[in-house]
Amino acid sequence: MLKSFQTYGTLVCFFGLLLFFWVMLPGTFMTGRNLINISQQVSMLAVTAFAMTMVMAMGDFDLSVGSMASLAGIVAAVTFQLTGSVPLGIAAALLVGIAGGALNGFLVSYLGILPFVATLGTLTILSGTAFLVSGGKTIFGGDIPAGFSAIAKGGIPIWPIWSSVDQVLILPNLTIIAAIALFIIWFILQKMVFGRHVYAMGGNAEAARLAGINTRRTRLIAFCITGLGASIAGLMYAARVASANPTQGSGLMLDAIAAVFLGMTISRHGEPRVLNTLIGVLMIGILSNGLTQLSVDSYVRDILVGTIIIAAVAVGSVERLLRN
Amino acid sequence: MNFVRRSVLGIAAVSALALMSGLAAAAGEKITVITPYLAQPGTQFYVEAFQEKAKANGWEVNVVDTKGDVAAVISRLEDAANQKPAAIVINVDPSQVAAGLEAAKAAGVPVFGMDAGASPLLVTNVTSNGYSMAADTAAYVSNRINGKGNIVMFVFDAFPPVQQRGIIADAIFKNSPDIKVLDRVTPDVKDGGIADSRAKMEAILAANPDKGSISAVWAAWDQPALGALQAIEAAGRGGEGIVITGIDANPEARAAIGKGSNFEASMAQDFKGIGGAVADAVKRQIAGEKIVASVIYVPTRLITAANVGE
Repeated sequence: MLKSFQTYGTLVCFFGLLLFFWVMLPGTFMTGRNLINISQQVSMLAVTAFAMTMVMAMGDFDLSVGSMASLAGIVAAVTFQLTGSVPLGIAAALLVGIAGGALNGFLVSYLGILPFVATLGTLTILSGTAFLVSGGKTIFGGDIPAGFSAIAKGGIPIWPIWSSVDQVLILPNLTIIAAIALFIIWFILQKMVFGRHVYAMGGNAEAARLAGINTRRTRLIAFCITGLGASIAGLMYAARVASANPTQGSGLMLDAIAAVFLGMTISRHGEPRVLNTLIGVLMIGILSNGLTQLSVDSYVRDILVGTIIIAAVAVGSVERLLRN
Repeated sequence: MNFVRRSVLGIAAVSALALMSGLAAAAGEKITVITPYLAQPGTQFYVEAFQEKAKANGWEVNVVDTKGDVAAVISRLEDAANQKPAAIVINVDPSQVAAGLEAAKAAGVPVFGMDAGASPLLVTNVTSNGYSMAADTAAYVSNRINGKGNIVMFVFDAFPPVQQRGIIADAIFKNSPDIKVLDRVTPDVKDGGIADSRAKMEAILAANPDKGSISAVWAAWDQPALGALQAIEAAGRGGEGIVITGIDANPEARAAIGKGSNFEASMAQDFKGIGGAVADAVKRQIAGEKIVASVIYVPTRLITAANVGE
């Protein structure tokens, strides 16, 4: 982890942002409560982006994560309607996530379709399925069991360390789920042989195959993990809004890719690392939170995120040009 | 090189932010408006009317558009609650953003609904009265056919705001002993409601071929009324004097009413009035008044050939 914490522009920018909002918003930004709010606000994006890091580390893409998240929420909600069982609904949604990921993996690794095209296709299929299953409607109210939405409301109290302000601070369940996802993806990518295979394929897929790595199976599993991650994010979203809508996850995909790209600008060789993705996610979350508190137009966040990605990459390119 | 890189990025980002926060210079009371639906025409009318009145009151309004993302509304509610503005205005179903509304409540920030739906977590919700809109068009139909004849109703009971329109129309038609409801149709709305309503109406016309066997079509919103109009015209029965009414007065409905077709009347909601009334409610709250009404209705208007051009 320390290795990736080399001094790079994006990181400086990240701490610059923290400092900036701290100074501009005295008393309301750098508080335990607000930081916990941010962690909960980015938790769904975080899980999606961590899962996205898995396929992007192979040099692939998964454009279907947003639709997958929407469909997972819908599948859970419809299962709730039919059975009233929270565990069954969650299990059904996760199964759909793995199945969707397996479909992507099959198309990409066994049929050899470009990930961009394959997952664009599944994006449309999954989105259409979400509309079909839900009848195009938002499922809410009594159809969503209180026990399910309570997941997003609850958490673990962490007083008294930071509780100088008002009430007891609670570490939200959504934040905890995101932290667990971070640990699992980090462990898979950094500590397991499977992860080394993934990065080898990202470096040179053909060389990896010739070196004896089962690239097809690796790719299939990686896409399954991404699909599973997207469905977990979809469940988290549905719990947070206590409803399921066939389009509600669609905003996750581009933000997740942006977060991974922001993270890649920190890595030494520009490869996706999940801890760097976390920095990317936090930058997006901090910008949204801080700019809202500063009453700055919400569209500015998008412009800044894009500008930071391009600036970070451009500075690297200019450096290389100068060196040559 | 790293030093250059660091400085360039850091300075650029921070100065850009400093510039933008400088633009939002502090003025009077701060009000935050949060909506996922700013791209929709109705919402733009509400928000513009709200901003106009806010300006006159000297308030500083921050409009946050989450671009369709409902969970982001919760996040932005939490952020805004942190900043403790004088009030927050939302334009989204309160039951979907309850977590954010509770954060605002804990921070003591009052939240107002702009056509949002009623909720105990809101000070009040400003909207149009669905009951009275249905009463206006059903009474129009009943009067136009002199309390006598067969009526086709298009309803949608699965959606509460439309369901309440249907029961009012039921009551008004039941009150005339010579009015008979031939059919109470729930169209399939997946395609927007026009095509399936047309198909259903064609079937009903085929089953009732005689002139005068259908006196009127009452629709709980404009799309089925437009579908029924298409069916009646395609069947060559536009000259029978079948009266059609809708609700919402969307541009297509207004065009049909303006042409002098069978589609005679619809109801227009006063979007600007809703935005303005929200600003009035916020003003009362800031002045220290306790607002008792959990829903505030803004009057709607019957649109007919007589006033459609206004």
